Formats: sequence, structure tokens, C-alpha cells
Amino acid sequence: MSDEIKVDLELDVRKLLCPMPMVRVSQNIGKVPVGGVIRAVATDPGSLADIPSWARTTGNEVIKTERNDGEFVFYVKRVK
Amino acid sequence: MNETREKTLVDILDKKMNRQLLYYLDICTRCSICKDACHQYVSTRDVLYLPAYRAELIRRVYKKYFTGMGQFIPALGEAREIDDKLLDELYQTTYACTGCRRCMFYCPFSIDTTWILSVAKAMLIAAGRGSQILAELSGASISKGENIDLFKDIIIDTLKSTEKELQEKVGDAKANIPIGKEGADTLYVALAGTHTILPAAIIFHQARVNWTLSLFEASNYGYFLGNVPQAKTIAQRIVDEARRLKVKEVVITECGHAYRVMSHFYETWAGEKHLFKVRSILEVIAEYIREGKIKLARGHVSKPLTYHEPCQVGRNAGFYEEPRYIVRQVASDFRELTPNRERNWCCGGGGGLVAEFEFDDLRIKTGERKVQQIRETGAEIVVSPCENCRLQLDTLNEKYNMEIEIISMMDLVVDAMVIDKAAN
Repeated sequence: MSDEIKVDLELDVRKLLCPMPMVRVSQNIGKVPVGGVIRAVATDPGSLADIPSWARTTGNEVIKTERNDGEFVFYVKRVK
Repeated sequence: MNETREKTLVDILDKKMNRQLLYYLDICTRCSICKDACHQYVSTRDVLYLPAYRAELIRRVYKKYFTGMGQFIPALGEAREIDDKLLDELYQTTYACTGCRRCMFYCPFSIDTTWILSVAKAMLIAAGRGSQILAELSGASISKGENIDLFKDIIIDTLKSTEKELQEKVGDAKANIPIGKEGADTLYVALAGTHTILPAAIIFHQARVNWTLSLFEASNYGYFLGNVPQAKTIAQRIVDEARRLKVKEVVITECGHAYRVMSHFYETWAGEKHLFKVRSILEVIAEYIREGKIKLARGHVSKPLTYHEPCQVGRNAGFYEEPRYIVRQVASDFRELTPNRERNWCCGGGGGLVAEFEFDDLRIKTGERKVQQIRETGAEIVVSPCENCRLQLDTLNEKYNMEIEIISMMDLVVDAMVIDKAAN
């Protein structure tokens, strides 16, 4: 499924506890161009609420979320 | 800097100018005792991190705009105008501060530098110069609270696997993690994720407590940011939930600042008294042990173990005895850090610094005093009841090759718990 979306930056935030996955996404969003996508893989279930909430308030967008064997994959699009 | 913005910032200082702030600004003799108290200054010898200098920036602005000498002969009055350079310095001194308040403990006049810096933060936020990442964290937290219905099912769903772990651990297929249970005695407020939920659920189950889990996380980045309205909004969700569920007490997980927000600050911010007790999980666990509600295997941990006292738990909230009481139940070789209690050194990660990556180098450098303290004990395990501290200790462990194990107090307790599965 992931090959449907062009990913500009892979981010491994596994084993990091919340809010650090969200912090790492925020830290790296400027590294992709506007319209670009970060694929972030997290293991802390708190990120399921944290990352979409962060995207909502910063004007970015979580375009897709996947759950695989205790891992949570977020495709975060830089909107501005 | 245009005049309108300058006036806005001066107005903020004027509004914050109460008796306490005025006292702090007037009384400092610049004795510099605080220089040896601050882990950041001790490690860097950079004047920006000297507590008296952090406060001095606000003091100079005060002299410029609120004293005759400062207005007419600013050079003599050591007055300083608000400009971009001042705001740059103010940002560095203010958001780098971990809020440990060790300087206040050593100050002969008990000047609370963090109080003065709270004014600096208000001015920086008004100038659009507040910490961006703390603002994002605070905003995300508020958004999550406003849209909790979107996340409620996700939270409940992710708790299913945690509930299974609980059932296996206690040997009770009916053990559960209640959420939104009206009439519960205790509302437990955890951190985001499940790592502070499972150990608490085991403890509450074994102590036969009528409890329920909060939908909201304990941590409050509005507080670190210095944005009181946002900090109040974040805390208010928990207060409203506690009222709705009619609980008797709110128990805050291992999170020093979250306990202080709920216990020390919220009532003042909201202008109303809590209708419930606010307790730290540390005092709750200590009580359960004393009353025999939970049983621990004495001497379960034989490796040398030390206790890192989070500043917000010890010096700033006064929980000195409870954590030591718990640790002594479990560890046969407990070694105190030196100095400890109110004199304990900050680990360097407080105040939201673990999230502010722009200060990564500073917090790693200024953690060296903590590394030294831990090494002197020869401890192989460090227990600390604060997520920020543990994140910082994890970083120090890696960067300084300490080869220690860092654990939470609840994990220490649960690992040593004597659980009679047949009785469950």
C-alpha cells in the first residue's frame, strides 16, 4: 500500500515514548518540500492521537495511517 | 521594534508587576551564590545561564520603563530597552531554564528565578517569540482534548492489549481498565501511550481500588511554554472529567510538573477550589504498602540502586520520604546520590527541554553533573518517577556510556509485587 504514496523522508520513531514521535515529526517536517510526505513509524500508541492532533494544529495533514503488529505508520504531508 | 509591540510588552510587565515580582527585582544583591547552584552555569560558565543574569534582563527592562533613573539616565540606571537583541537573549536564558529552582533554594533572599522567567515567557509569547515546539505540543494537546470523541475509540482499542497483559499479570480474567466510570473513587491520570497505564492498573487491581482511567494525559506543555490560559485549558479537561465522574480523588502519574499544575497552580488560575483530593501516585503507592494493600518482596532488587529525585517531585513538591520509603521496600542496596533532597542536582532535562531539540547540546553538556553523581554511587539501576528525567537519563546513559538501567517507580514496584493469582 505504501508505494501508492511518494515518500520524501522515512522516520523511525519506534521505541520513542510520547510526545517524542510527534516532536521528531515536527523537527523533520521542514526537511521535506511543501507537498512532500514523511513516513513515520512509531510504536507508542499515544502517537495515534498525538500526531494527527499536531497535524491539525500546525496546518499539516496525516494522509494515511496504518497499523501493523504493534507499529503505527503515519504518512504526514507538509501542507505549508 | 515598533512602538506598538514595545508598548504591548511593557504592558505585560506592568500587569505582572505584583508585590512578589517587585520584591524579587529590587532585592537581588548580585552576590552570585546562585552561580554555583545552577547546573547549566556550572557546566558552561556562560553568563546567559547564570540565574541572577536570567533575572537581570527583566530587571533592566523594569528599570528602563518603570524608574525615573532608567527613563532619564538609562546608562546609570543599568536600564535596557526592549529590542530584538534583548528578546534573543531572553529566549535563550528563559527557555533553556529547566525550572529546577535550585537557585532559589541557595539564594539568601529566596528569589524565585522561575517566577521572573514566567514573566519573560509571557512577554516572549506576546512578541511571537515563544518556544515553537512547546507551542505545538500545547496546541496538539488542546486539539486532542477538543476532539476527544475522534480518539476515544482508538484509545479504548489500544487498551485491549494492555488489559490482556493486566489479566495475565494478576491472574484474573475479569481484570479491566475502566474508562469514564461514574462513581469511581479514584481518577488516575496517566501519560500519553500505555506505559504508565499497565503498572498503575496492576497496582490498583491488587489494592482493590475502585478506579477509572482519565481520557486525557497528565503532561501539560502549556505550563512549560508559559502560556497560562493554555495550561489552564489543558488541566481543566481533567478537572471537568473528575467532576463529571464524581470521583473523590485525582491521582497523577509519575510526572512532577503535572502534579504541581493540578495541585499547586490550577485553583489559582481558575479561581475555584477543587472538589476532590489531588494526590501523586507516589504517596498513593506508599500508602498502599503501609496499609498492606499491596505486598512487595523485600530485597527483590539486590543490584546497587540509586534514586534520582526529580526537581518537580522533590524540591518543588516536597515528596522526599514517600519515594525513599518505596525504594527501601524493594532494594537491598539503596545508595543515595550526594547531594540529595532539596540540594539534589537537576538532571538537565526538565522544563520541556527534552522536547526542545535546539537545546540538545546544552542539556547533554549540562547533564554531566548528574552523570558524575550517579557514577559516584556505583549504582547499576536508577529509579526516577518523572518521564522528562527518564528521557534525559536515557540520553545521558547513551552519550556518557554509563551502562545503567533506568526505570520508573511503578515498574520497580510492579516487578517486586507479590501477586497471589489464586486469590484473584
